Amino acid sequence: MNAGVARALRSCSAQASKNVPCPTKAIRAGSPTRGCGYGGASSGDGRRNTEAAGGTLAGYAARVPEWQERLTRDTHPTIRIEHELRYRLTAPLVRGAATWCDLGCGTGVAAAAALGDARAARVVLVDLEPDAAAQAVAELGAARAETLTADLSDETDLASLRELLLRADGGGVISCFEVVEHLRTFVPLLELLIDLAGEHDYTTVLSVPNDAFGTIENPYHLTMWGEGALEELRRMLPRDHVAAAQVPVSGSAFVIDGSAGDNSALTVAQRPSPVASHFIVAFGPRAAELRGVAAAEMTDLEGQRNWERQREANLAFHEEELAELRDYVHDLERRLDAGASGDDA
Amino acid sequence: MRVAFVVNDLQLSGGVGVVVQHARQLVSRHGFEVELVLAREQDEPDWRYPGLEDVPVRAMPSARGERYDIVVATWWETVAASLELDARRHAYFVQSLEDRFYRPDQPDRLGAALTHDLPLHVITEARWIADTLDELYPERRCLLVRNGVDKAVFAPLETAPIRRTEPLRILVEGDADVWFKGVGEAVAATRAMTAPRHVTLVSRSGAALDGVDRALGRQTAEQMSALYAESDVVLKLSRVEGMFGPPLEGFHRGATCVVTAVTGHEEYVEHGFNGLIVEWDDERGTARALDTLATDRALLHLLRANALQTARAWPSWEQAGTMMAGALHALARAPEAAPLDGAAAALATARAAIESQAMRVAERDRLRYRVAGLAAFERVIERPPLRWIAAGPRALWSAARRAKARRRR
Repeated sequence: MNAGVARALRSCSAQASKNVPCPTKAIRAGSPTRGCGYGGASSGDGRRNTEAAGGTLAGYAARVPEWQERLTRDTHPTIRIEHELRYRLTAPLVRGAATWCDLGCGTGVAAAAALGDARAARVVLVDLEPDAAAQAVAELGAARAETLTADLSDETDLASLRELLLRADGGGVISCFEVVEHLRTFVPLLELLIDLAGEHDYTTVLSVPNDAFGTIENPYHLTMWGEGALEELRRMLPRDHVAAAQVPVSGSAFVIDGSAGDNSALTVAQRPSPVASHFIVAFGPRAAELRGVAAAEMTDLEGQRNWERQREANLAFHEEELAELRDYVHDLERRLDAGASGDDA
Repeated sequence: MRVAFVVNDLQLSGGVGVVVQHARQLVSRHGFEVELVLAREQDEPDWRYPGLEDVPVRAMPSARGERYDIVVATWWETVAASLELDARRHAYFVQSLEDRFYRPDQPDRLGAALTHDLPLHVITEARWIADTLDELYPERRCLLVRNGVDKAVFAPLETAPIRRTEPLRILVEGDADVWFKGVGEAVAATRAMTAPRHVTLVSRSGAALDGVDRALGRQTAEQMSALYAESDVVLKLSRVEGMFGPPLEGFHRGATCVVTAVTGHEEYVEHGFNGLIVEWDDERGTARALDTLATDRALLHLLRANALQTARAWPSWEQAGTMMAGALHALARAPEAAPLDGAAAALATARAAIESQAMRVAERDRLRYRVAGLAAFERVIERPPLRWIAAGPRALWSAARRAKARRRR
């Protein structure tokens, strides 16, 4: 065995021993519930798979390495900003509300960054994983927040949620961002939210992704969303609901003498038929209060360059290793008098 | 929640298949109690739909004694029967504007159109139908549940295969004797092609048309899936469609499509992105589009790859079942659109008129057949020289009839 092959085998072995699911094509094409928080198929009991040990954030990052289903401080800025923006959209409703409930709160990183001092009198954080909700409490600095561990496709858990929310009077605001696509069925949740809107003065702001426009099939999404699915959802909602499209923007800014100055008045040029990355619907007594917002953040070009160069270098390196491995296997096959295998046989 | 879907029968049809799929999903994944109620007695044995064993099937006499949360009519002829059943809500699952299945002189056309004007909440499967029904009757609840695709049978390919040299493989699906399917026009367009092609026609009868390389009869879903997978293009020149399923199934198996701008196509076909849209009655234009795909294999591959991408985003039956569950809950919440008193009687009257008209038309056709011989004889004697020879006896006959009439007076 030559040195290159030995190195390649060592590398494979090391990768395997880390017990880290690699972002390979096999995973992408595999069961959509692998590592996914919701859906009964993953673990049989509707709970998130918990094969990865370690701290909360490390666990999420290890299990969902590519699609950023959990937001952390290391999440790609584009994804983080668009998630934060959804909370900024909701901020005017949250400010001064009797109760703010965040369904699928995750680590709370985006909500904390976006909401700032916009806080409700009462905060309820709901997630499938208790560790995530605890992390969100810390991120939001809301020590008195109430947390609930709940599978939002489970009717018993939803009954607990309903009871928790109705413990206090005055209605409130419910944010439900990037949750329903992970649910085995979102119908019981939707029924609860519509009931809370109609009977108990709760306003819900809910988002779904535009999967139909993406080029990669997200294995963590149990339902596919696009304009057609959104139309299906909208027709189930109260007629006075509000719909919004979240549209990606590209931009550039000047830094003069090291200062970005006041770029807060971001101007977004309109396109005739913009394609949404996400769709938002709001329903309930305060839905009409939603107002358009936009956000931008300077790109970390240095980090992006480093990451892209690393990816290119890794790809070239592993392609070389693959070629060496293939030659080695063919050499073995020739020596064993076995038929040649593989594409380059 | 207890739901009854009223169907005419359980014969093989796309519409009944959709209802059976929804019923299965509602029972197995959403805890609904679902029954299929047959609006009329059947002459033929049921088509064996997979999963039907999980869904009870009742006849109308038995269902009349039951109480349901929601009763859903599924075809215009089942609306009157559905209104006979006791339910908290009545609804109508509209899979197409069904009056368009009939020609303008057919009385059934009016009967089907009447049902769309009833104050029933509706669930429909395409946005164009929902928009039309909204305009017809804005007060009612109009819900949308797109048909799913069976992702196990029509499993999306990993990648679209590249075919560079073989003749263009074209699949035409539909019955040539159904006027709005455009099967004859599709096969004619393939005949007008100049590039090499291989044409497969799938129809109920399996009858071949001129220019078809392979004619096949009824196919199971699995067989259709295999046929799509070996095809480059699904060619459909329909004039009437509801949700327009076949090209979408083809997309899942890596085939692009050449289609007319029939209702339903706008839900997923994008001209030049995942398929080509051609004009109606444009045999040469359609042939040219097919020739383009046969010769420009890079374009063919682009359309096929994008078609596959489109297919991946289309909902499965599991997702469609979730949407149907949500739609039924929404209907259960909604108040009735308007009182339905008298609707059943009005439909029965309309139905009686349609049947009566149909009997008159049948009688007219029978008499036309009987007098065909006399009419032929008359045409013969109206030609010279028989006309001149007959002129004398005809004058005598007319004079005799006039005299007889005078005597009567």
